[in-house]
Amino acid sequence: MNPRLRPLPVATALALTLALSACGSAGADDAAGDAGGGSISVAVTDPIQTIPGRQTVAYDLNMAVWSPLTWIDADGELTYVAAESIESDDATTWTVTLRDGWTFHDGTPVTAQSYVDSWNAVAYGPDAFENSGQLAGIAGYDDLNPAEGEPKTTEMSGLAVTDDLTFTVTLDGPDGQFPMQVSQAQTAMYPMPASALEDMDAYNAHPVGNGPFAVVGDYVENEPIETEAYADYQGTAPTVDAISFVPYADATTAYTDVQAGNIDVASVPAARLPQASGDFGERLHTFEAPGISFLGLPLWDERYEDVRVRQAISMAIDRETISDVVYGGLYTPATAFTPAVEAGTPEGICGEFCAYDPEAAKALLDEAGGFDGTIDIYFPGGIGLDELYKAIANQLRQNLGVEAVATPSADWAEFSENRTNGDIDGPFFSRWGALYPSQQNTLRSFFVENGGCPNCIPYYEDDVAELIAAADAEADPDAAGEAYAAVQERILEDFPAPPLFFETYSYVTSERVAELPTSAVGNPTFSAVVLAEGA
Amino acid sequence: MTRRVTRRLVDLLVVFLGVTLIIYLMVFALPGDPIAALGGDRPLAPNVVAELRERYHLDEPVLQQYLRYLGGLLQGDLGTTFQGQSVADRMALRWPVTITLALTAWGIEVLLGVLLGLVAGLRAGAVSDRLVLAGTVVATSIPVFVLAVSAQLWLGVELAWFPVAGTGAGWPTAYLLPAAVIAVFGLASVARLMRGSVVDTLRTDFVRTLRAKGLRERQVVGVHVMRSSAIPVLTYLAIDLGYLLGGTVVVEGVFNLPGVGQLLFQAIRAHEGPTIVGVSTALILVFLLTNLLVDLLASVLDPRIRHE
Repeated sequence: MNPRLRPLPVATALALTLALSACGSAGADDAAGDAGGGSISVAVTDPIQTIPGRQTVAYDLNMAVWSPLTWIDADGELTYVAAESIESDDATTWTVTLRDGWTFHDGTPVTAQSYVDSWNAVAYGPDAFENSGQLAGIAGYDDLNPAEGEPKTTEMSGLAVTDDLTFTVTLDGPDGQFPMQVSQAQTAMYPMPASALEDMDAYNAHPVGNGPFAVVGDYVENEPIETEAYADYQGTAPTVDAISFVPYADATTAYTDVQAGNIDVASVPAARLPQASGDFGERLHTFEAPGISFLGLPLWDERYEDVRVRQAISMAIDRETISDVVYGGLYTPATAFTPAVEAGTPEGICGEFCAYDPEAAKALLDEAGGFDGTIDIYFPGGIGLDELYKAIANQLRQNLGVEAVATPSADWAEFSENRTNGDIDGPFFSRWGALYPSQQNTLRSFFVENGGCPNCIPYYEDDVAELIAAADAEADPDAAGEAYAAVQERILEDFPAPPLFFETYSYVTSERVAELPTSAVGNPTFSAVVLAEGA
Repeated sequence: MTRRVTRRLVDLLVVFLGVTLIIYLMVFALPGDPIAALGGDRPLAPNVVAELRERYHLDEPVLQQYLRYLGGLLQGDLGTTFQGQSVADRMALRWPVTITLALTAWGIEVLLGVLLGLVAGLRAGAVSDRLVLAGTVVATSIPVFVLAVSAQLWLGVELAWFPVAGTGAGWPTAYLLPAAVIAVFGLASVARLMRGSVVDTLRTDFVRTLRAKGLRERQVVGVHVMRSSAIPVLTYLAIDLGYLLGGTVVVEGVFNLPGVGQLLFQAIRAHEGPTIVGVSTALILVFLLTNLLVDLLASVLDPRIRHE
């Protein structure tokens, strides 16, 4: 299993057409012309779990088969898809009004009850659904997930049906980002039909959603999953008639198969990033993604206690060159603590500390009293990160005059255990790909204890958590953006870890694909794909 | 004969118990919590992790887990993966792919290897012999990964003679290229073994006698030399079949063939005890059985072994 999971959408949505016209993408108009017609094949990891509450690698499939309540386009604009509106007076109790006339692929209507029942089912502790954490902010989630014993109820107290098309969601505390949290990549928020709740295994074999594409036949391991456009779909009609999701065990093989023209779209594995542009030219598509990587530092080790040491390490890393060599120039050097694609991110806040300046770095380290011993960089092995961390070790050695080595773990499980337990005495791999493009998601994951990424950056200050909570309470999106930016000001003072890159997700396409649109989660929007003429 | 077979079968049981225990212990000794790693770098909620650890009995001591596994096995239950699938079902889906691949490769080895070895052996020292020799040296020295990727790029992408990946095209189209790639090493070994064996046999007294009594050369070679030379080659081929069934991880990965090699590789990465033990035990059984078969076959081919 590839631990660098990405939210891989495919999707629905009104917003798509908006996104497309907003970008004014060249060629979109003359190619293909008429909407509808044709099919595409997409390389995916075999999902095993196909359904929204459980999938961890089937974002592609999920975003084709289901429609989210809200959609966030590549410019960060939020629009409503399955929801007509999501409103709140106090940011704690939200009223969700659904659009009328929507049906699941089995013909049953999508109602407020469908959402409430689905969310309760996904959150039910004893079933241990992989994505149940996405619902943790709803009041009553803890009752379904008691620390000891079986839950006494099967329903969250925070969910209440008002009428067929309206339900209210009460959160544990005010959270202005709620409409973002029900957007396209938060799959636990998708609705399921009544039949699903009776037999989840059967549902996993034949997923039934409310989205633009319906699954044809049953899912069988290692076999392509065929989907076709759902005739009664109420959202924006997809531009293709069918999508085939073909499982590949090795992303490099999928890449090669796109070269051969046997499959239309594949994501680019790390090992192929430097050559992808040469191999594919214009058929390489690179999307800004809500992912950011840091060089985590062992803040429990006294050698890293002085903030100047941490700043010196950051300034000794030449991000631009590393991006060019390791990622074919496709990653952007990070200049803030959240990805640039997240609304309100104060780009450039990191200032001189994220800029490459070997002399200043060395001077700062000397001023802090130098560094005792070796900088032992530790990262998960076997997932294509070796080049990156070796490059960083080389630069630290050359620019700081300190011995530095990079050592991989045997696999992801070993790395994650050591990091969670704090059994690391050097810098380490630290990354987060947000499922909804809000600074909240990234800041929470890294800087709030139990916020999502355990020990990613083991910097948990009470006042930072309070500042984040205060920003959460802002209902106005712009004010919230500013409040999160203020959190970053505070974090910058302590500079707990050097931000490395704003990530991009890259895809290659066959000659059949003329246009591959994206959204704010950094993945292709397959339902709006434009095929080349004659394809 | 019956006694020998029974004894070998008892051996099988002992090996089976030992191997499953050792593998189970090794999986358990792998560092890291497989459940915590299930979600990759987007970790699962702590309560989900706790629930899953309990569900798959990972909170129990290793011996208890092993006994639970053996108990299930006695009832024909091979266990489940951490995503709740039956290991038996997964293996059943994948064995046909690996068996098809291995047999195709094996067929190539037998046909080409024996033929080349025979040609080289009959004309020892001639140009054709030297060519075969040089060819086998080159073939055995190229790593299978390099061969697989080059073959894929050249014959799959550039020339488009074969599909690049997947089993979609069916047998034989989808299997020929990967099978040829894994067959290369064994093929070279078979050819060299066969050559040596043929050269030796040609020098024996009985061949001279056969020729002296006027038997046609075709019969001398086709029946007697072949039969006598076949024993060492056969032993190798049997072991190699076991190797082919278990050692195709790389090629299955490169050509995206969903076989057991790939399953084993993924299971090891996910620290999935039941799958690892299930697959490797099956592989070991295949190995032991093919060896048993060879021993029996050898005694059919060679009267001396039969009467020992």
